[in-house]
Amino acid sequence: MIMTSTITSDTIVKFDSVIKKFGAFVAVEETSFDIRRGEFLAIMGSSGCGKTTTLRMLAGLEDPTEGNIYLDGERVNGKATWDRDTPMVWQSLALFPFLTVQENVEFSLKMRGVGKKERAERARIWLEKMQILEFADRNISQLSGGQRQRVALARALVTEPKILLLDEPLSALDAHLKVRMQAVLSNLQKDLGITFVYVTHSMSEAFSMADRVIIMSRGKVEQIGTPQEIYHKPKNTFVAEFLGSANIFNGTLSDVAGNNWTIDTDYGSYIVHPEGDLAKQTGEALSFIVSAENIRISDASSSAGGIIARAIGEEFVGASATVYFETAIGQEIKVQKSHHELAALNFATGKDYALTWDSAACYVLPQS
Amino acid sequence: MSLPLLFWQVAFFLAPLIFLIAISFWTVRNFQMEPDLNLKNWERILTRGVFWDAYIRTMIYATVAALFTSLIAFPASYAISFKLSDKTRQWVVFLLIIPFFTSYLVRVYSLQVFLSDAGIINALLSKVGIPTMAMLNTPFGTLVGLVTLCLPLVILLQVFSLGFVNRDLVEAAHNLRCGRLRTVLQVIVPSARVGIVIAALFAFILSFGDFVSPLYLGGGNPPTLSIMITDITKSGQQWPRASVVALMMISTLLVIAFAAIKFAYRERGK
Repeated sequence: MIMTSTITSDTIVKFDSVIKKFGAFVAVEETSFDIRRGEFLAIMGSSGCGKTTTLRMLAGLEDPTEGNIYLDGERVNGKATWDRDTPMVWQSLALFPFLTVQENVEFSLKMRGVGKKERAERARIWLEKMQILEFADRNISQLSGGQRQRVALARALVTEPKILLLDEPLSALDAHLKVRMQAVLSNLQKDLGITFVYVTHSMSEAFSMADRVIIMSRGKVEQIGTPQEIYHKPKNTFVAEFLGSANIFNGTLSDVAGNNWTIDTDYGSYIVHPEGDLAKQTGEALSFIVSAENIRISDASSSAGGIIARAIGEEFVGASATVYFETAIGQEIKVQKSHHELAALNFATGKDYALTWDSAACYVLPQS
Repeated sequence: MSLPLLFWQVAFFLAPLIFLIAISFWTVRNFQMEPDLNLKNWERILTRGVFWDAYIRTMIYATVAALFTSLIAFPASYAISFKLSDKTRQWVVFLLIIPFFTSYLVRVYSLQVFLSDAGIINALLSKVGIPTMAMLNTPFGTLVGLVTLCLPLVILLQVFSLGFVNRDLVEAAHNLRCGRLRTVLQVIVPSARVGIVIAALFAFILSFGDFVSPLYLGGGNPPTLSIMITDITKSGQQWPRASVVALMMISTLLVIAFAAIKFAYRERGK
């Protein structure tokens, strides 16, 4: 990853060759990236990928083993969390059960020595904003999951920080509430115009809210980009597999003729058109992906050619359906079609079909 | 399942308690107890200044022992819970259980060796030129004994309650600009309140009813309530009057325990 070494005013956070080790275990491998002022950045990956450690280093709850972290132009290595202005919303929310809702929200103002009257006023403004003013005098245990979420947000935002850190704050909510809180968070971030750094393992959360997404795996940043970029142009097969939205075909580069590359796969040779600065020699391993909506289904008996695969299942997704096929060598292939198209095909599971696609629908990427 | 338990409670707790209440109304004639329904024992005890002096003295001992023990136990409990590795913590908890292997009476006797006028502490003090102090047979002696009695238990109870303090809350407080010491007072103590209060309550109960320290380290004079009970029974078989004192102690402990638990579990907000 190429990084600019200067810190512009657009950059609020800079990770510069940061490494975090716990004993011999490397939680975060050498990582460099910038966070832009006012953006909603999601850090996404499965558990143990280092995403939470990255966030905790930013919050000052962990110190990097190597490298530098800059916050608003200042190097913050070794600076205690209570000296930074990086409030965090915990996965467990970490609300103080021995304080009332309002006292929770007032907490950090109290720690800064803000007077009692002003504290109450400012806390009530945020309770109002989060639509929980009526619960101000309640005990935390009397609130619902969604209301607690709002208390946690109000508590973190009451000091009007420039950046808010969120560590999987929605994971304890049910699906319906999750979607509602996503909207709350999204709107909040737009209204306040401050930077949100949001750690999650959920692709739907990351992609629906974030301006940019960082995909991490085993302590490494795999890709940084907008949801669109990552979805359509995953950087390698790990990212493609992690997103799970496309079909991956692994093979070997056998021929390069200008922009027409030939990849030999288990299903035969395919011509693909690589994008960007892929530097590969013939004989090297290379893959391409075809997204589920770009695959055509025909009768196995037709002259379409392509891969012959057996339909093994069907899943309804609103107006369309995702159909699962299994090839002769056991690879699963997903295809997305409208119910209308499937009906026209007389589609039935257990039958063999031919699967084809245009070479323009293939996106070439290195194997990881 | 609950029937044998009920039987147990009735046979070994409720019945003796009812018996104790009943005796407090009996009379003693010629060193013989006779069943009666007489308020004279109550009147006799509750109108005597010597009883109330002992009552207040016992209260002060128990309160000071509970508060002082809790106070000196807390830094130790905090260090054990937050600063030690899991493995070291197991060893320390194990070591805290060891004092219970020895009889409390034996420990008090050995404390006499330390506290007496010609004892170890005074010998050491005189070596550095500090004049000897009377420690044995003083209220100080009593309190040393009570603190020795309660300290390991209070530390253990505090350690267990601190073990349940949500570590996220500690980090959240730090993250919200609350420094280390302030977090202890603002977050850790309130989080562990139930355990801390119950530990202090245990220390209070143990000290309030203790007979050994006030007698062997405090000299037994002026008496605490438990010493008073033995004195009364020894002189003229006055079991009825002794049971009045005992019932006063039991009701005091019930009120204190109830208030302490109410306080420990009180909730904020509506």
